[in-house]
Amino acid sequence: MSAALSISGLSKSFAGVRAIRDLSFEVPKGRTTALIGPNGAGKTTVFNMVSGVYGVDAGRITVNGTDVTHMPSRRRISTGVARSFQNIRLMSHLSVLENLLVGQHVRASSLAALLTPYRLIPNHRWKREARAALAESGLEAYADETVGALPYGVRKRIDLVRATLAGASVLMLDEPAAGLNPSETNALRDHLRALAAKGVTLLVVEHDMHFVDSICENVVVLNFGEKIAEGPLSVVRRDPKVREAYIGTDGED
Amino acid sequence: MLAQQIVNGLMLGAIYMLVAVAFTLAIGVLNFLNFSLPGLFMVGGMVSFGMMKLGWPWFLAFAVALLAAALISLLVERLAYRRMQGGDPEVPLVSSLGFLVLLENLVLIQYGSDQQAFPALLPDMNFRIGGLVIGMAQVLSLAVSLALVFWLSRFLKATNAGRRIRTVAESRETALLMGIDISRLVPQLFVASALLAAFAGILFAVNYQQVSPFMGEGVGFKGVAAMIVGGMGSIWGAVLGGLLIGLAEVLSISFIGADMVNITVYGLLLLILIVRPQGLLGRPASREKL
Amino acid sequence: MSGYLTGVLVVLAFNVMAAYAVYLPMAAGQLNLGIAGFMAIGAYASAFLTNEYGWSMWTAIPLGSGLAGLMGIIIGIPVLRTHGIYLAMATFALGQVISAVFLNLEVVGGAAGYPVSDYASPQVVWAAAAGVVVLMLYISRTRFALCLTAVKSDATVADLLGVSVRGMQVAAFALGAAVAGFGGGLYAHHYNFVEAQHFNVLLSVFTVLYVLFGGTQTVWGPLVGAAFFTLVPELLRASDQWRYAVFAAFIILFMAVRPQGLVTTSLMTLFRRRRVTP
Ligand SMILES: Nc1ncnc2c1ncn2[C@@H]1O[C@H](COP(=O)(O)OP(=O)(O)O)[C@@H](O)[C@H]1O
Ligand SMILES: [Mg+2]
Repeated sequence: MSAALSISGLSKSFAGVRAIRDLSFEVPKGRTTALIGPNGAGKTTVFNMVSGVYGVDAGRITVNGTDVTHMPSRRRISTGVARSFQNIRLMSHLSVLENLLVGQHVRASSLAALLTPYRLIPNHRWKREARAALAESGLEAYADETVGALPYGVRKRIDLVRATLAGASVLMLDEPAAGLNPSETNALRDHLRALAAKGVTLLVVEHDMHFVDSICENVVVLNFGEKIAEGPLSVVRRDPKVREAYIGTDGED
Repeated sequence: MLAQQIVNGLMLGAIYMLVAVAFTLAIGVLNFLNFSLPGLFMVGGMVSFGMMKLGWPWFLAFAVALLAAALISLLVERLAYRRMQGGDPEVPLVSSLGFLVLLENLVLIQYGSDQQAFPALLPDMNFRIGGLVIGMAQVLSLAVSLALVFWLSRFLKATNAGRRIRTVAESRETALLMGIDISRLVPQLFVASALLAAFAGILFAVNYQQVSPFMGEGVGFKGVAAMIVGGMGSIWGAVLGGLLIGLAEVLSISFIGADMVNITVYGLLLLILIVRPQGLLGRPASREKL
Repeated sequence: MSGYLTGVLVVLAFNVMAAYAVYLPMAAGQLNLGIAGFMAIGAYASAFLTNEYGWSMWTAIPLGSGLAGLMGIIIGIPVLRTHGIYLAMATFALGQVISAVFLNLEVVGGAAGYPVSDYASPQVVWAAAAGVVVLMLYISRTRFALCLTAVKSDATVADLLGVSVRGMQVAAFALGAAVAGFGGGLYAHHYNFVEAQHFNVLLSVFTVLYVLFGGTQTVWGPLVGAAFFTLVPELLRASDQWRYAVFAAFIILFMAVRPQGLVTTSLMTLFRRRRVTP
């Protein structure tokens, strides 16, 4: 079993406050893993270090066997790791379709691609591909809308579709179900299962434990920047350290 | 000779300094590059000139000029600044430039485009210290400018209003959380920066005894340069930048040639922006949080 | 065509070229307040080639434009490390330094100005401006333009999606500089005279003014802005003294009501929908 994403000995401090402490875990290829933990545990910070928004203080990050620890953030997506954002970061003045086209960039960044007047070509394959991806999530009606005006749930899912369009083999999703209504959550679940069926490795940060339970084989639990447990959710949730970490925040079950 | 030029450079620098402080208040707190300030500088000089031409005593003429600048600045706040919230950051720049053009042309219609001689207010008295000749007007304006800046800096440090202003400058969100009424603070800041610019214009007129509708442009742009050299948002940075730019200008005029002024002054600005974008006394911007 | 009208339309053509020189970097979120400096480079370089080496303007002007573009790259790389207002000020300073350098350069006449031998007729100027507009329309249809908008609206995310933010910024800046140099070269050869004083801050600033006025959301904005700024003051000529004041007042009020500029994406969509539904 080889790892799609491997993190070892990772540490990060902000102004002396240690946000991540000596964190190590692996995300196996083709599997869906959840990264959970109370607010402020450091989940988003892990994503930020893997995608290169933050540098690391110590440790090593490997994606599909490539060491990306000191790689410039821009080049990391071409090693096969893409992400979504907890607070949706779509380009709000652009249309949905244009956002998705930016998502394809890593696969269309040659000079020839940059200078292709795709807007003048009806049904150019980029546009076809993006529309098809939208249709898969049932969002095709929004293709030409400006993103800024769309409801939260729709934007949240478009953020996810954009991440998938990079064609990455590892997807990191930061709270993809947050703020979605039940039917949107179901659609999201189907979408993630379809991605997993295609062999995409998923690392999902999520607070909704039923959702996690329904898609993830494995969970990694963070608290105060440290890994406190790892394994199948049914086992992990009985762990006394995990129960303690969640007291008052997630008292279910 | 060198010492004399240094003195002259510091005097000119004092004027740039006031303009730079006016800009820095607008940028540091409001994040607004207010290009109407050079226009208000000109209003300071030209309205004083106009009132004195009508026979008003100088102190009333100055008061009218300052009042006019303050009122115009409130208009700028209404029409250029308040509208920018949420829009492209360049938009208020356009409108404030519009004000500069408008003010210049209104004054031009009234007084023509020529340089006008500003009456000599202070007796043509010179101090001689060692071999140096220092004009009365020069000393007075340097002293007044420095006093004004000292007062402002103390005001920002030691009073409640000052602390509120600094909180807004640090972070709008924090200020809102702390219940600071930004909508009341903003017009006050506009008035303050307008008064500084207009006052600098008056000092310029008194010192160099000439005014024109376009007197604000050169000084205004150098004031911006001074603000950036010193570090945007920092009052003492503006002081340092103003004096440096004044020195650079006067020294390059007398030692390299008048045509080289822009190369030295703006070359200095460019160099600083590349090597140390935050300016001499400014703090670097931090990376955003996702 | 009357000489007056020809004159106005030639000015319009120059303003259109200048507008796109400002627009390109602005599409990537960079305010270039030193565009006049790049015009000066194109003007002086091409004039020097026609005057001193007997080049034809047909080769001299493109070369001048290329040189301005090259300077855009060389200067852009350090200058574009700055952002926002810092970048605006850096380009502002740059424009001042460049025109001051030409003012002191005796081989091209210094402060006395520099007469130019070859002549570009109004037709040539118009054709060149039309060429620039067509080029810009083309660019606006490409992925390059999409990347510029992406960089402008969220550089961090564009970077994470693999867009070379610096590369795009330098490219847009240098292309804008090349367009400015192209316009400058034509200017020198149309008026047969260049003087450094012409390429001053106000030229840069006014160009930015009408680009923003036209609106930067679509590629048509700069064209409309340039046309408005060139033609309306001419129409206001009747009230000669007042025209600039009236014009400035109009701009202030206009920007207060419509800060996004005259031509916007939604306006264009409206046009397009009209066309499809009869
Ligand atoms: N850019 C930053 N500057 C300072 N502190 C930060 C920054 N990013 C994250 N942190 C801190 O790191 C800790 C972990 O944050 P985060 O990763 O966002 O938590 P989570 O996503 O698990 O809720 C928090 O205490 C947060 O305040
Ligand atoms: Mg988080």
